[in-house]
Amino acid sequence: MARIIVITSGKGGVGKTTSSASFATGLAMRGHKTAVIDFDVGLRNLDLIMGCERRVVYDLINVVSGEANLRQALIKDKHCDNLFILPASQTRDKDALTEEGVERVLNELIHMDFEFIICDSPAGIEHGAIMALTFADEAIIVTNPEVSSVRDSDRILGIIQAKSRRALNGGEPVKEHLLVTRYSPKRVDAGEMLSFQDVQEILRIPLIGIIPESEEVLSASNQGNPAIHLKGSAVSLAYEDVVGRFLGDELPLRFTDYEKPGFLKRIFGAK
Amino acid sequence: MQRKPIEIKISTVVAIAVILHDAKLSVLEAALKEITASTGDYYSEECAVIDVSNIDCSDMNWPALIQLLKTSGFHPVAVRSAPPECEQQISALGLSIDLGSKAAAQITETAVTESEPVPVPVIISSPPPMIIDTPVRGGQRIYARGTDLIITAVVNSGAEVIADGNIHIYAPLRGRALAGASGNIAARIFTMSLEAELVSIAGIYRTFENGYPALTAHAPIQIKLNGDKIDVVSIQSHN
Repeated sequence: MARIIVITSGKGGVGKTTSSASFATGLAMRGHKTAVIDFDVGLRNLDLIMGCERRVVYDLINVVSGEANLRQALIKDKHCDNLFILPASQTRDKDALTEEGVERVLNELIHMDFEFIICDSPAGIEHGAIMALTFADEAIIVTNPEVSSVRDSDRILGIIQAKSRRALNGGEPVKEHLLVTRYSPKRVDAGEMLSFQDVQEILRIPLIGIIPESEEVLSASNQGNPAIHLKGSAVSLAYEDVVGRFLGDELPLRFTDYEKPGFLKRIFGAK
Repeated sequence: MQRKPIEIKISTVVAIAVILHDAKLSVLEAALKEITASTGDYYSEECAVIDVSNIDCSDMNWPALIQLLKTSGFHPVAVRSAPPECEQQISALGLSIDLGSKAAAQITETAVTESEPVPVPVIISSPPPMIIDTPVRGGQRIYARGTDLIITAVVNSGAEVIADGNIHIYAPLRGRALAGASGNIAARIFTMSLEAELVSIAGIYRTFENGYPALTAHAPIQIKLNGDKIDVVSIQSHN
């Protein structure tokens, strides 16, 4: 049975698209047929991070409005054979994204035997964000450890509770997961940043992972390479853990403790 | 699933009660100006029910009254306890007639004047309390009409929980809680940890701009009305 997962946050710039790209890639690398859809109509980003921006011909809106079929619009990932990207439109109005159209696209993906459908939500609580979460079975809430991001995540959780199809049909509610990104144990230690326990105390949903703050993410994104491909890096390992936990593995949290650099390290300035 | 073009459901709208104690429009206008400091949007289009049970409104100029309230930012939707001879005129202006809590009030009155030595049980049917088991999140609003509200999960900042009766929160209260919303001054709010933005009982409210009372830091507390002042005391306090 296919699972539809929305990656959302309320606030912008917290790492939704980065997380969508790495999460979808991680699922595909574990052998699951996965599609990732960019719902940010008007501000196309996912294709850049996935490094397929030059191969975009048709987009989500073309499919929703019947100008192209789904097979024409899906772009095969350059690394994984079982990962496909459905890009957003940069030129169209976001109102072209109708509920019926989105439902039809998702149903078609399910018929094409996709196991996981990742919906990369735009920021905010407007139409695009609502469309991304309407049909979700599960939600990954991306939150930075600071108060405004946490507050917006709380708001979007309330909207999922109120507006998702599962909520409206009175069935089993959308399963919620908390993903804390851009986490800096050093700054938490210095009291400059909320700890993941603080975030969880406010949001009260299960934690699926913590992604450490890293400069490598930016350069990977600029090169059109999802961060999970940065082999051996903390960010890559953290995203692999997230995928593992999502698929049911029991994995301890990593990269949450700050170790003061030792005497020699300080002298020789090892990185 | 095909959605029907129209769905009819019962829905509760929170409205402000504008209780008039004077029938003269000039007096009302002056009083309103004093409250709102002449700011037009002071009440930002809040739905308002005009309660005229305390005044004689046989000579009332209804269109002028409604216009007056509108200039102060109210959005009048109904008139409560209007005399029968005015009903037609009010309906013609597009407002509905609210019978108010007359029926309920009569039951309580008979209960109070009961002087029989043998206690006669007076059954006032009140709805069962509303129970919420999931976190109430920013932007959400819950109203327990005519009853108590029991919440077993956190009420986060930006959320608003309202009850005509008491409010019990078995977790931290970080948003707004308004108990006794239809005027019950004996209503109370209970919470395991007071981190609220605002609390109110029977329309009297208190904010915590300058911090919370020292005794209440992360300890179970209750909030009650003491005259026209809101008291925050330990849950064990019996004063």
